[in-house]
Amino acid sequence: MYDLIIFIVLLAMGYGFGRYAEASHYKSIIKREKQLNKIPAVATRIPPLDRQDLNSQLVSGSVVISVDYFKRFVAGLRNIFGGRMIAYETLLDRARREAILRMKEEARGLNAEFVFNIKLETSSIYKGRRNSVGSVEVFAYGTALYPS
Amino acid sequence: MEYSNPELPEGINTSKSHPLKEFAILTFGLLGLIILVLTATIVVVDNFADKIPFEVEQKLPVTSLLNINNTERLPPYLNTLTRKVVNSVNLPVGMHITFHYVNDDTVNAFATLGGNIVLYRGLIEKLQNENELSMVIAHEIAHIKYRHPILSTTHGIVVGIALTALSSTVGNSVVNSLIGSTGDATLMRFSRDFEYQADRDAIKSLVALYGDAGGALGLFRILAQEDTKASPFEFLATHPLTENRLQQAEKMNARLSTGHKNTVIEYPQDFRSWLTRQHSKSHDQ
Repeated sequence: MYDLIIFIVLLAMGYGFGRYAEASHYKSIIKREKQLNKIPAVATRIPPLDRQDLNSQLVSGSVVISVDYFKRFVAGLRNIFGGRMIAYETLLDRARREAILRMKEEARGLNAEFVFNIKLETSSIYKGRRNSVGSVEVFAYGTALYPS
Repeated sequence: MEYSNPELPEGINTSKSHPLKEFAILTFGLLGLIILVLTATIVVVDNFADKIPFEVEQKLPVTSLLNINNTERLPPYLNTLTRKVVNSVNLPVGMHITFHYVNDDTVNAFATLGGNIVLYRGLIEKLQNENELSMVIAHEIAHIKYRHPILSTTHGIVVGIALTALSSTVGNSVVNSLIGSTGDATLMRFSRDFEYQADRDAIKSLVALYGDAGGALGLFRILAQEDTKASPFEFLATHPLTENRLQQAEKMNARLSTGHKNTVIEYPQDFRSWLTRQHSKSHDQ
């Protein structure tokens, strides 16, 4: 009886706080992406050969985002039936974009014109009980090119 | 060379469907599936559990396993009463019922494997008259008659195995606890059906013995006062809500009662004083 109440409260809390955090995070991501769009981050490995006036430096950004109770529960059910892990899609989308943003912010500090050869690493950290994912880390890094 | 990052539209990497929709489909899908599969399994297994001979049950060392070997001899009045009630029930051939009395404040009585029925002093004291006590005894006898103890045991084993197998493959503690609760709820459904069935049989015995089911109504009213701590949701309890049991009893009483009045038999005086002595004996220790 009490287990059920606690479970429902946790689920509702996870859902409420999770939704709120996600909405406000997306708002902030979209806003900052617009601001930092002037520093393009590209995946190409070859730097512009016509520019001899640029210095390079490694820039990186990482973020750790926790799964909420609601998402973990829905994902656990999804594990049984299979299909799109919708609950985790937004989580990873947010983490990737936030990591790139943080990397770009570092690049902006260098007055970089762009970041090339960007790479993303994803890892799930804190494997909770029975290996359920607790939170994800996304690490973005690349080479910032800035005027010397 | 020019480099640029396009502004991608939102929702490419994420799904637009509402998270609660996925939650509802998955949760109710899983719960429904578990309940369906377990119920079907239990119904199938019941057909086999039914066939376990009663003698096998009787050979089990139930009294020592359940720690009810501290029971005492029944006083003459209880002995006569239990025999009277047993005789009012058509027990299958070879079924023998053993009554145990425990001098303890616990307000309870239960029937278990091997035809053993345990009565606690706490419950007998709470009851007002013989009719109510007969209701308790007849209810427990009905459990034995329908082999409820062996069926419940089998249900527990089957559900336990099925859920352990499922849980170990899921590997998510939150989902596992939900699966466990669903299994419990399924078991409790069967348990509540047993209670209703035992109540119906016991009421018939009461009517045969006393002309009406007043003892059942009295018993449920007493139980209603007792179970203030019980769960307000029936699906989370092994026993039906006392309210619903009272309703069933009232309906049956209206239908079956022979119309004779004043059929209430009080506890005899010597039994009352015996109860008082037992009470103080238990509290002195």
